[in-house]
Amino acid sequence: MLQVLIQGFLLSGLYALIAVGFTLIFSVGRVLNLAYGAYLMLGGYAYFYSVQTLGMPKLPGFLFATGMGALAGVLMYRLLVKRLKGDQVAVEISTLILAVVIQAGVVLVFNDSSKILHPIVGGVWRIGSTTITNNILVAMVASWIILGGLLLFVKKTHVGRAMQAVSMDAKGARISGINTDRVNMMTWAISGALGSVAGVFFASYTQLNPSMWVAPLIIAVAVVIVGGIGSIVGTLIVAHIIGFMEIITTTFIAAELRGVFTMLLIIGVLVIRPQGLFGRGDL
Amino acid sequence: MARPLLGWAIFAVAMLLLPQFVSNGTLRIIIFANFLAIFAMSWDFISGKTGYISFGHPFLIGIGAYTSAILSYRFGMPVSLSIPLAVLATMVGGTLFFLPALRIKGTYFALVTLAFMELMYQLVQVIRPDLTGGTRGISGIKTILSGAAPNFYLSFGLMFAIGLALWLLSRTRLGTALDAISMNEEAVSGSGLNTTRLKLFAFMVSALVAGLGGAFYVHYLGSIAPRALFDINFVFTIIVSVLIGGSATIIGPIMGAFFMTFLLEYLRPLLPGSERYLVYGMIALVLYVYQPKGIMQILKNLSLRTRGPQTGRSGNV
Amino acid sequence: MSSLLVLDKVVKRFGGIVATNGLSFHVDRGESLALIGPNGAGKTTIFSLIMGEHRQNSGTIKLNGEEISHLPTHKRIQKGVARTYQVPRPFSEMDVAGNIRVGMMPDNLWKMITQSADPDAELTIARSVGFRDEDLLRKPSELSMGDLRKLELARTLAAKPEIMLLDEVFAGLTVGEIEQISDLLAQKRKEGLTYIIVSHDLRALEPLVDRAVAMTFGRAIAEGSFIEVMDDEAVRSAYLGQ
Ligand SMILES: Nc1ncnc2c1ncn2[C@@H]1O[C@H](COP(=O)(O)OP(=O)(O)OP(=O)(O)O)[C@@H](O)[C@H]1O
Ligand SMILES: [Mg+2]
Repeated sequence: MLQVLIQGFLLSGLYALIAVGFTLIFSVGRVLNLAYGAYLMLGGYAYFYSVQTLGMPKLPGFLFATGMGALAGVLMYRLLVKRLKGDQVAVEISTLILAVVIQAGVVLVFNDSSKILHPIVGGVWRIGSTTITNNILVAMVASWIILGGLLLFVKKTHVGRAMQAVSMDAKGARISGINTDRVNMMTWAISGALGSVAGVFFASYTQLNPSMWVAPLIIAVAVVIVGGIGSIVGTLIVAHIIGFMEIITTTFIAAELRGVFTMLLIIGVLVIRPQGLFGRGDL
Repeated sequence: MARPLLGWAIFAVAMLLLPQFVSNGTLRIIIFANFLAIFAMSWDFISGKTGYISFGHPFLIGIGAYTSAILSYRFGMPVSLSIPLAVLATMVGGTLFFLPALRIKGTYFALVTLAFMELMYQLVQVIRPDLTGGTRGISGIKTILSGAAPNFYLSFGLMFAIGLALWLLSRTRLGTALDAISMNEEAVSGSGLNTTRLKLFAFMVSALVAGLGGAFYVHYLGSIAPRALFDINFVFTIIVSVLIGGSATIIGPIMGAFFMTFLLEYLRPLLPGSERYLVYGMIALVLYVYQPKGIMQILKNLSLRTRGPQTGRSGNV
Repeated sequence: MSSLLVLDKVVKRFGGIVATNGLSFHVDRGESLALIGPNGAGKTTIFSLIMGEHRQNSGTIKLNGEEISHLPTHKRIQKGVARTYQVPRPFSEMDVAGNIRVGMMPDNLWKMITQSADPDAELTIARSVGFRDEDLLRKPSELSMGDLRKLELARTLAAKPEIMLLDEVFAGLTVGEIEQISDLLAQKRKEGLTYIIVSHDLRALEPLVDRAVAMTFGRAIAEGSFIEVMDDEAVRSAYLGQ
C-alpha cells in the first residue's frame, strides 16, 4: 500500500512535469503541439551530448538542454505555427510531421541505438521495504517546484498576466494593447524549455532513443484531454489521476495493461465529456 | 468526364506493360506504392473529404490485416473466405471509429483516433497472444501469389479498382455532400441532409478500403507485427502521401504514394537508415506549408497559367 | 385558417442567460412577419430553436400542427422550414452553383449517387435571387456581402421551404443591394412564400411584412401591424434604452 502511494506520487510528479508545457501551449495558443514530445527528446539528447559526450558539468549541461528546448519552441512558432494562422488541424498535422523529422534528425546525429543517461542525482532512498532512486525523487520535487514557480509566474508577473489574458480571449487581449504575437512566442519558448527539462528527467528514468517522444506526447495529450484544456492546477490533478491509475493497474492487475486504461480513459472522456473533467479554466 | 477517364485508361495500360520494362526490384517498390496508395485513399475518403482527421488509421488497417492473418494462419481458413471476413470485421471496427464523430470533431476527434491506435497496439500484445502472436506477431502467413510480377498485377489491380471506384463516387452528388461537410457541417444539415448518415457512409467506405488493403497486404508480406503496424510513423507516411498529392481528390493520394515511395527509394543509397525520413519529412512540411492542397493544386495552377485566363475561372487561384 | 408555425411559451436558457423567456407567437400560411428587437433580444436564438440547432428548455414548437421539437435539423427542413444566417456561411471552396447544388440535394444516399445534379434547376434558382449566369462559377471569397446574402437565400430556397426564416438579410449591404433583395422578397411574397424576417433596418422591413412582433430580453412586448408596433410605448423605450 505504502509502495503504491510512493510510486504513484513519483510517477505522477513526472507526468505533471511532462504535461505542463503542453498544457501551456494549448491554453494560450489554442493549438496542440504534436511535436511537443520532440522537446523532451531534444532535451534528453542535448543533456546526454553535453554531459556524457563532452564531459561538461551537470548544471551547465542542464541549462544547455533547457536553452535548446526554448530555442526549438521559438523556431517552431516563428517558422511554422505563425504561418498557419491558428488553423488547428493544420498545426497538428504539420507538428506531427515535424516530430518525425526531428526523430530522423536525431537518428542522423546520434544513430538508432538506445542510450543510457546516468542519473542526474545518484543514490537511493529506502522507506520501509520500498527503494526509490534519488533521481526520480528529485524529478518529483523539481516538478512541484517548477509547477509552483510557473503558477507564480503566471499570476504575478506582467508577462504571465498577459499570457493569461491571451488564453482567456486572444482577440480581447489584442484590442487592449497586448502584443499577442510576443506573448505567444514567449509561451512557445517557455513550453520548449519545460519540455526539455522534463525530457532530461524522463530520459534518466527510462532511456534515450529516437522514438522516445511518442510516449510522453501521449501522456501529455491524455492529461490535457482528461483535465480539460489547460489550467496548471488541473494538470497537476489529472497527472495524479493518470499516474495513480497506472501504478494501481501495474500493481494489482497486470503491468501490460497500464497503458490500456489510460487510452480507455482518453476515449471515454473525449466521447462523454469532450470539455474534460474540469471544463475550461484559465491557466 | 471522358478526358479523365482516358487518363485512367492510359494509366492502367502503362502500368500493365510495366513488368516488361523494369526490374523485379522496382516492381517490389511499386507493389509497396500500390498498397500505400490504397491506405492513403482510405484515409482521404474520411479525412480529406469530410475533414474528420484520423491519426489512427492503422487501427482499421490492422483489424483487416490481423483478422485475415489469424483466420488463415490459426484456423486454416482459405484466403477467399478470410479476406471478406476481415473486410467485414474492419467495417465493424469502422463503426467503432465512427462513434466519437457523432459528438466531437477537429482536434478532439483526431486524438481519439490516435488513442484507438495506441489501444489496439497494446491490446494486440496482451489479449490472446496465442492468436495474435503477441509482441512478435505472426509470420509464415499464406501468400496469395508468389513472384514480383504476379504480385504487382494483383496489387495494381486492387489499387486501380479501388481508385476508380472512389473517384467515380466522389464525382457524384454524394461526393459533393461529403466535401461540403469538411467546409461547414452545420450548413450541410441546414440544407436538409442527414450528416450522420453521410459521415457513417464515408467511414464505412473508408473502412472497407482499409480492410481490403490491410488483408491483401498481410497476404503479400506473409507476416505481421504490431510495432511496425500501429506506429505513428506509418500514420505519418499515409498522411504525408495524401497531403503531398492533394487531399480530397483520390488521384492525389495515388500520386503522393508513388512520389513518396520513390523518393524514399532514391534516398536509400544516400541515407540508408531511417534518416531518410528527414528529407522526406522536410519536403512534406515545406510543401504542406507552401501549398496545403498538394501537387494536384500545383499542377492545376500551372495548367491554368499556361493555358491562360480564358479557360480559368479566375486569374487568382 | 390554421397557423403554419406556432411557438408556445418557449424558454431557452444559456447558463444564466435567459435568451428566450416564455415566448409565444404564430405565423399563418402566406403571411410575412417581422421580428424586431434590440441587439441581444433573442431573435437569432428563436431561429435556432425553430431549426433545432439548439433545444428549448420548455415550450412547444409546431409546424403544420405537428410538434417538431424532438426532430433533428435536417428533418425539420424536410418538413418545410429553412433559415438564412446573420453571418453567411457558404461552402467556402465551392462555387455558387455547388453551394446551390448542396441545398437542392435529396436526403437519400442512393439518389445522391445515381441521379446527377440538375444544372438547369441550379441556374433557375441562382437567377431567381438575382445572380447573373457568369456568377455561377464564382467562389464565395470573390463575392460581395450582397452576393453572399443572395447565396444564402438561394441555398435556402433550394430546399423548397414552406416557411423561411431570414436573419438580418440587409446587414452590411449597399443601398442598391438592399433594394435588390427587397424586390426579391416582395416577389417571393407575392408567390405565396411565408417568412419571418429579422432586421434592424426598419425602413426596409415595413413594406415587406403583414405583421410584426417586437421583443426584448427574450419576451414579446408588442404584436400587431408594423405601424402599431412601431408606435408602441414599450417598443420605443426598448430601442431608445439600448
Ligand atoms: N450559444 C450561446 N451561448 C450562450 N449565450 C448565447 C448563445 N447564443 C445566444 N446567446 C445569448 O442569448 C442572448 C440572445 O442572443 P441572440 O443572438 O438571440 O440575440 P439577437 O436578438 O439575435 O441579437 P442581434 O440583434 O445582436 O443579432 C444574448 O444575450 C446572447 O449573448
Ligand atoms: Mg441575431
